[in-house]
Amino acid sequence: MDTAQHTILKNLFKGISLSDAEEKSFIELWKACCFKQNELITEAGRMEKYFYVVLEGVQAIYLINQKGEKVVLGFSYVGSPSGVFDSFLYQKPADTFLEALRPSRMLAISRDDYLNLFDNHPSFHTWAHGFFKEILFGRLSREVELLTLSAEERYIAFMQRCPDELKGIPQKYLASYLNMTPETFSRLRRSILY
Amino acid sequence: MVMVKLLLTPENQLQRLNHLLHAVETLKEKDTTTLNHRPNENAWNVLEVLEHLSIAYAMYDKKIETALNQLHTSNEEPWAFRPRFWNRFVIEGQRPKGNKRPFKMKTLKKFEPQLEKELTPAAVENVFENFQKSYSKLKASILVSRNKEMNHKRITSAIGPIVKFHLPEAFEFLICHAERHKIQIDEILSSHKG
Repeated sequence: MDTAQHTILKNLFKGISLSDAEEKSFIELWKACCFKQNELITEAGRMEKYFYVVLEGVQAIYLINQKGEKVVLGFSYVGSPSGVFDSFLYQKPADTFLEALRPSRMLAISRDDYLNLFDNHPSFHTWAHGFFKEILFGRLSREVELLTLSAEERYIAFMQRCPDELKGIPQKYLASYLNMTPETFSRLRRSILY
Repeated sequence: MVMVKLLLTPENQLQRLNHLLHAVETLKEKDTTTLNHRPNENAWNVLEVLEHLSIAYAMYDKKIETALNQLHTSNEEPWAFRPRFWNRFVIEGQRPKGNKRPFKMKTLKKFEPQLEKELTPAAVENVFENFQKSYSKLKASILVSRNKEMNHKRITSAIGPIVKFHLPEAFEFLICHAERHKIQIDEILSSHKG
């Protein structure tokens, strides 16, 4: 693992203090994986085997609605965690797909190794409290945006906080994430400055 | 009307195939008496249904492979396909409606499973292996097709030249057909319990 990868991992697990020996074995738990553009990292109907940290690329998590269309629930990108967490934690078949929208490199830890971290190092419980708190409040604020803002306001709010690498993915994924048609998204993109 | 909107996507098909493969995997845990049980003298048992599904797949195996090999690799997004009227009608004829199997039909001789009346455990294993091999290959073909341009000559269905399928339609037909027989399997199993 090179320094940049190490830094990404450390940033995600900030607050965890490990001795040199412990850190070495922590790093050894992660294996690097590569995915081609459009490759399915996790398929709906299968079990999520890993918790990922993104080193490169953009990934989308989505489900298929009754009409057969993709409904995008979220994205992951450099430095963020990724994976289908409910399937990973509860060991039930995933309801969603995780797909690499750009060629992706990720670090992956297996469920057993992930759970052992909590048994071996109590500080991971504190980390998990902060980690899941951030996810929960992030999802809540997205829910509020979806329920209270107009399409235009949702577009502006998202574009202001969205990292540049996400702006380059196919528009229909961003449109779906913002619960609007690709046509509306494209009109807003042409007419609105944020 | 659902039929008009029918949009086929590889992701939707993969999700359903994963559920089917998983469901058949759990059937392996049933004892031989259950698997050999017939609701009545002329009805199929679970193993015959599975064997019938393997036979149905085999009719398409080479045709799918040949069609896939002729297609160019695509860097665009995976295909999405709307079947036209006649093929949509043929596919919808197979698709189960809830837990019901509409348009019950008599199986043509060439699709009839040729198994012994009572199977030994080794023969039972063989039936499962055939099924898993066939439908895992179907799944692999769908995964490959996600990176292909979907313009090709239609393939003649196992019904005959009266129905010619585009690949997405052939995939859909096989999956709907298997889902239909999965309901039959559930019916056979509940008749055994009852």
